[in-house]
Amino acid sequence: MALNRKTAVIGSAIFAPVTRQDRALEEILYELAQAALKDAGLTIDDIDGIVVASNDQFDGRAISIMAASGSVGGVDRDILSTPSAGEHAFVMGVLRIASGQYDTHLIVSWSPTEASSLSEAQRLGADPYFHRALPLDELSSNALQAAALAVAAPQAHQLAPRIAARNRANGAHAYPDAAKAPAGEAEIASSEAIRWPVRKGMVSEPITGAVALVIASEDFVDKHGIENPAWVRGMGWATEAGFLGDRELSKAPALEEAARRAYEEAGISDPRQSLDLVELTDVTPYQELLSYEALGLSKPEAWEADLGSGIFDRTGKVPINPSGGIVTLNPVFCTGLIRIAEAAGQVRGKAGRHQIKGARTALAHAASGFAMMYQTVLVLGAEREGVQA
Amino acid sequence: MELLKRQEDWKITYTHALGEVASWFFVQIRDNAKIFGRRCGDTGRVLVPPRAFSDQTLEPTTEWVEVGPGGKIETFTIVYEPFNNLPEPPYAFGYVLLDGADTALGGYFRGVDLADPAAAAEKLKIGTRVVTKFADKDKRKGDMLDFWFELA
Repeated sequence: MALNRKTAVIGSAIFAPVTRQDRALEEILYELAQAALKDAGLTIDDIDGIVVASNDQFDGRAISIMAASGSVGGVDRDILSTPSAGEHAFVMGVLRIASGQYDTHLIVSWSPTEASSLSEAQRLGADPYFHRALPLDELSSNALQAAALAVAAPQAHQLAPRIAARNRANGAHAYPDAAKAPAGEAEIASSEAIRWPVRKGMVSEPITGAVALVIASEDFVDKHGIENPAWVRGMGWATEAGFLGDRELSKAPALEEAARRAYEEAGISDPRQSLDLVELTDVTPYQELLSYEALGLSKPEAWEADLGSGIFDRTGKVPINPSGGIVTLNPVFCTGLIRIAEAAGQVRGKAGRHQIKGARTALAHAASGFAMMYQTVLVLGAEREGVQA
Repeated sequence: MELLKRQEDWKITYTHALGEVASWFFVQIRDNAKIFGRRCGDTGRVLVPPRAFSDQTLEPTTEWVEVGPGGKIETFTIVYEPFNNLPEPPYAFGYVLLDGADTALGGYFRGVDLADPAAAAEKLKIGTRVVTKFADKDKRKGDMLDFWFELA
């Protein structure tokens, strides 16, 4: 079902990695929100409401919205918070503008690395009844899913290093100062197994990062003559069962549903024809492969041929992760909202070094939780309406 | 200028109520070395670990069903990094669909040499038959570490 009111991304800022030690988290968030507002050409006085997303365990702070209330403009302003996923803050913001009650929103998410171990913090996400005694962090859950996928599609083991190598090469191009050195397929394939079958070269150490977006209604865009907005053409989100043992891990039904809804809203029947680029959640390359099928980009039997053809390369017809994806920069909790900011940046022509020329329609796939439990798909377009070409 | 950091180490102890379904499940493991699931009255599916209700139908489950001890590996991983309060790595864990169950139970795999990851992964191949083993009665505490899976 289409939204009642059209909404666009009109500003953004991505701070990743944040390595400086001369700013506390609240100060980073203050500078981030100011940067996003400046990018939109607005001030905080133009903002009707704020939605933030953060993880209390990562922040070491209960109800960590408190870190944002002062720093991003929440004092005397409508501010809501979600701990489920950074991308959920975006979904809530779009729905609030569609409600007609708001014209603008600031969306913020962050992910520090101040905890002694994010893996241990993630284990608090497992229930204390049946799963706490297992080494169940997100990487373990992704490895369990990878193993299941590789039974359904054994070629995944061979293709995973190739995907990681491509994303890392894209990352070295997009963010040469921040990305780790690119690595070849063979090097990645022979790097140590950290959670079988996931190898060290296929994932990235967590970094500190934060991201903010400014979104606005079509009325606001028109009234203020905002140039190059990235319109939310389609949006879908869905959730899978909480217990991994209840799920068919080699499939991604929630992502299929999220994609179906987003494509239907956007009027997309053939994503490979309609999309100019894709920013997806390569939390490991196995999850990237699983997403190809669910997003209608490539079926398992075509994976090898498609990857070989270069269609998903930075210079190909449908570049995947021109930013370098999560294997390049992994601020864990806000990677999903960064995918949305990257895709919107491409449509706005402001992606920077990795701008895809002439990008008019971009897909952002965000996923969070154990083995991509929460799935969100956004189609962002330069055109406000009409069937996607 | 000098930039300071502040380290905090919180020690908060949580005492979670397990409720009657999980309590009965763990008492059966502790006292009788048996694993039970709960049947959904609506669909007949046997949920393991047991649930008071099905999160698919939102109907209460209606009866206890003994499952296992045999089963097959649904998925696995081998962990090479240390976690707090868990065994020294490497170790293998994953999910097993016990005989008679419709959902898989998480647990550790034991008895497989993990020195060579590829060889170990071949032994733990998905679909492989396993059997549930239990700690000796005097060592069982009524928790998830009372049992593990070994190749059948």
